[in-house]
Amino acid sequence: MPPFRDDHILLIAPGSTWTLAQLGLPESFTPAKVRIPSRMFPGIEEGQYLPNKVHEVAEGQELVFGNGEVITAGPNGKPHKKRKVGEAAPKPDAASANGAATDTPNADGDSKKPKLEDGATETKGDTTMADATDDKGNHDDDEEGHDDDEDHDMNGTKKDEGANGKIYYDDDFDEEGAIWCMEQGRIVNWECFFALLLHVHETINPTFHTPILMISQPCWTCTDKERICQFIFEKIKAPGFCMMDAAAAISAAYGAQSSLVVDVGYEKTDVTAIIDYNVQELGRTTIPVGGNSMNKHLQKMLPHLSEDEIEQLKHSSICEILPPGIPIPGEEELEKDIIVRPPDLSTVAMGGLVPPKAPEEEANEEEDEGVTNIAAIVASGKTQEYLAKKEKEKADKKAGLALGEKRLPNYKRESNSFLYVEKVAEHLGGGQKSDHPIEVPDGEHMDVDPAPAPAPEEPSAEKAPDAVPAPSEGDAAQPTSTSEEAQAANPDAPKPAAKAEPAKGAPSLMDSMFSATKDDDDAKRAQDKALRREEKKRQEAAQSGEKRKEIEVGTERFKVAEGGILEAIADAAHRVVNSADDYNQRNDCWKSLIIVGNGCRVRGFKDALLNTMVAKYQVSPSSGTIFTSELPSNIPTPSGTGTNTPQPSSFNTQPNALLLQAAANNAAAAALAHHHPSIPQANQSPSEMKIAKIPEYFPEWKDAGFEECVFLGAQLGAKIYFVTDQGANKGFVTRADYNMQGPQAIHNI
Amino acid sequence: MASTPQMSQVLPSTTKPAELEYGGDEISALVLDPGTNTTRCGFAGEDTPKTCVPTYYGIIPDPEEQKFLGKLKIGENAIHSVVDGMEIRNPMHDGIVENWEVTTEIWRHCIEYRLSSRVEEHPLLVTEPIWNPLKKREKTTEIVFEDFNVPAYFLVKSAVCESFANSKPSALVVDVGHAYTSVTPVLDGIPLKKGSERTPLGGQHLNNQLRHQFTELGIRMAPWLMIKTKSTYTDLTNPAPLRTRDYGFEPHQSHLELQQDRFIHEYKECISETWPEPKSFPADLNNVPENFRGLPDKAYEFPDGYQRRFGLDRCLAPESLFNPSVAPKPWTGETPKGIAEMIKDSIDHIDADIRANMLSNIVVVGGTSLLYRFNERLNQELTAMFPGPRVKIYSPGQIAERKYSAWLGGSILASCGAFHQLWISKQEYDEIGANIIERRAK
Repeated sequence: MPPFRDDHILLIAPGSTWTLAQLGLPESFTPAKVRIPSRMFPGIEEGQYLPNKVHEVAEGQELVFGNGEVITAGPNGKPHKKRKVGEAAPKPDAASANGAATDTPNADGDSKKPKLEDGATETKGDTTMADATDDKGNHDDDEEGHDDDEDHDMNGTKKDEGANGKIYYDDDFDEEGAIWCMEQGRIVNWECFFALLLHVHETINPTFHTPILMISQPCWTCTDKERICQFIFEKIKAPGFCMMDAAAAISAAYGAQSSLVVDVGYEKTDVTAIIDYNVQELGRTTIPVGGNSMNKHLQKMLPHLSEDEIEQLKHSSICEILPPGIPIPGEEELEKDIIVRPPDLSTVAMGGLVPPKAPEEEANEEEDEGVTNIAAIVASGKTQEYLAKKEKEKADKKAGLALGEKRLPNYKRESNSFLYVEKVAEHLGGGQKSDHPIEVPDGEHMDVDPAPAPAPEEPSAEKAPDAVPAPSEGDAAQPTSTSEEAQAANPDAPKPAAKAEPAKGAPSLMDSMFSATKDDDDAKRAQDKALRREEKKRQEAAQSGEKRKEIEVGTERFKVAEGGILEAIADAAHRVVNSADDYNQRNDCWKSLIIVGNGCRVRGFKDALLNTMVAKYQVSPSSGTIFTSELPSNIPTPSGTGTNTPQPSSFNTQPNALLLQAAANNAAAAALAHHHPSIPQANQSPSEMKIAKIPEYFPEWKDAGFEECVFLGAQLGAKIYFVTDQGANKGFVTRADYNMQGPQAIHNI
Repeated sequence: MASTPQMSQVLPSTTKPAELEYGGDEISALVLDPGTNTTRCGFAGEDTPKTCVPTYYGIIPDPEEQKFLGKLKIGENAIHSVVDGMEIRNPMHDGIVENWEVTTEIWRHCIEYRLSSRVEEHPLLVTEPIWNPLKKREKTTEIVFEDFNVPAYFLVKSAVCESFANSKPSALVVDVGHAYTSVTPVLDGIPLKKGSERTPLGGQHLNNQLRHQFTELGIRMAPWLMIKTKSTYTDLTNPAPLRTRDYGFEPHQSHLELQQDRFIHEYKECISETWPEPKSFPADLNNVPENFRGLPDKAYEFPDGYQRRFGLDRCLAPESLFNPSVAPKPWTGETPKGIAEMIKDSIDHIDADIRANMLSNIVVVGGTSLLYRFNERLNQELTAMFPGPRVKIYSPGQIAERKYSAWLGGSILASCGAFHQLWISKQEYDEIGANIIERRAK
């Protein structure tokens, strides 16, 4: 058997909302190249699924082609008019057709014009104009590249539609009627799931000699895996296939021997304990809370916002979970008496997103700059940008000092605003179509100017500063502020701050981004993210036309996780770890807590979760023991009396001589007392909790954040299983294995 | 087995693989081991069960619901979430199923939801305690064939499985479980009813004893779910204010107890200890003899932050397994026999010629036997009790093997070829009815 090559390995990580995929392992592992929403649309025929929503063109509607043709639908959806849009930038038809086939949200954003699906285009060719023949030629060329099955479907469509001559077109934005094949990680619609796999496979279109590694969700059952295995071998016909458990992949990405993996997804959170690289299958659990529960909670608090607005608020930088000790601005500190045991420094600083520092640390910013991760910046090739940013920041800072309180960080403001980008439904609808020109400039707007809003009736706040006076971020006195005005009446810091800078120009996402974060590295990453998001939005805007508006929210934005999600996850985590059989290794799990998943992208989420866990479950060093009084509190003490305590091997501070002596004495006494120890007795856990360290040698991942590091694990796994090992240790199912054992072969690896 | 292998070589990347389908059908049996605390289920031939679902279930009373007069909540996440009015119950009593409707649902949850196996495709092996009455056995048979529609099924005594799991055809099986402790002699794979003994001295008993002990000490046993943050304190007379989480309603008492069981369980794991010597445990803990060599203290932190050091009193509850008269909570009825006494009675009841064989093959399993130094104590008691013959205790070293011994034995049994000859097929059931179980599986 010829060995598998690095560049011929297909990785697929299906998730409830996004499916990640990538072909080949690059030299340095990168985040997934292809992100596809895990949904398909029912096709025109029963049992057929298409990656995009397909509309029937209604009567009187106009359809604009990439090549500048416009078709107006007549009765029964038959095309009855066709004309050219003269001023439209003529795009080669093939490009748009290509887009239809390989349409992924961020792969090629520029070809997302409303377009005909291949079959339908030909339909048009058949039934209408003669000049469509050359179109047809193009399409035929194009279709060579597609996989046969899909072709089948398309052809079926074409023939069927040829009879009544209706026009169909793809709609990239309409999600109505979409079928999401997975719910809470569980596959609910198999047909759709398989259609999705096929779609992924076609999008990437690997050679026949491409083995597939798939990330399996923890809640997939044996039968599920067998079905997938069968599909992979019999439909996709891969030469090799293996499944990697999501939690195992995550811990592999972190390189942790024992860990507790918390994977916060959209509607579910998987909690898995891993001990000595072994997934603890029995104890693991999936709880039905996730990112969406936060949306729901926000929605409850802010009923006047739409679902989309909530989602964007959650993603925006102003939405964060404050670390304990920092009061929510404008609110009485009702629970002042709560002494939350502050986790020692090591527990906080490990997280990916460092929480906003406490006020007194602001002065140390210069020092913080010293620890900026230069390597990451250089590696990301944005050195110039970064330097420019730094300069700007410094200048801002000076100016800020001059002005007194220039910019308040987010956590001090009672209300803050974010930019809401609304997608306007377009594509069709005769009237709307006309004022929606195709030639929306899709230039490189890297800065934060408002998008070229196509419709003049929507002056965005930035464009009309006179209409909306001083819409500076953190503007508590903004007249347009909605229901939070009552709260804003509190005569606190925000007001003077807002007044202090009336001259400040158009605020932007960027600005709030800068001011909201104090940590440079963090800011850098946030900025990157913002830029990418911005860019993506822009691309979308370029086709769809967007409304942008600034929405101001009050302190609700700090309460995003108060709906019980943190407690639920913490409790599940505690249950999972305590169900691990070997109680002596439970502490190891707690010491290496891995919180990943896109649900935890909310700022401060990880630390808030850690704090919740620490506050509820961490066992404090016993105050009744002989030596605690002499100990600095941040040294992890052996819990309890120290009796039977195996000498902890991982003191992260200099061992205290006294502690050592005491522990040694006790251990000796314990050894004497136990003549026949059968099973060593456990100690109460957890005595220490901290977030696992993010591995540092993957620069590409550093920028993207480690929320999707399950994919990094998949890459590592693929490298080992398919390239290094080449099946010597039965790391994957080969076709020969499958022929011998059938779908159950997947369980024997 | 499998269909003929058509291609053994991987094709070069340029050739499209031919159509070929796998035609074999090797279906492994399912093994179901229903216990009072958890119900274990998985595929035969594996070494640990795939799922371990709590047998406790929650019910939210709702007169609208016809079947259960409420909404059933099954599964770990469901019963540990705080829901207004949810009551926690257990369908088992004394190791025997009492509530069949709910049990069926729990089994279904185990098999169909967690394993997603179509149960009608798999032969099924179910374990039962040896004192399971005929009526219940018939009921099990009926449910398995009528509700689950399995192709074939067999009912095995859990003691037999446990001796198999320890690779012994003959053994004296001591199962220290959650609801009960049982002693069953197994001779060449056949359990002997005559010598079998059981008492309610198990994990549940310990939980009750500890709960009683803690209440006596005046400890607020607020479980984790009811607490927002803990604050450490050691002085019970001056406790730190309890920071409870407000759910807006009062969770049902049974739910609170289930939650309390969680930290009691942890206490059992890391604090409780068996006093290693028989008969020397001081009768009165407040009046320990001068020269008595006690135990080093261990501290435990309760969920609300209360820390307490436990000395000899942490041996009290486990001691009651061997010597039930010392139990902190007085017995309501007759005081049961201690574990060693049960073994003695069991040995006395069986034929004299197999006694030596049994004594040298004592298999100790069950989650409660994981108590620290439990086996040491048992060994000492038995050596004192039977000075002549060689007493040998076998106990799996692996924690999982102890907990899931019965399941593991069932897995071994159902994966060996002889299982085909054992099982009762659907056809046989259709011909004879539920009574077939009595004929085929004694």
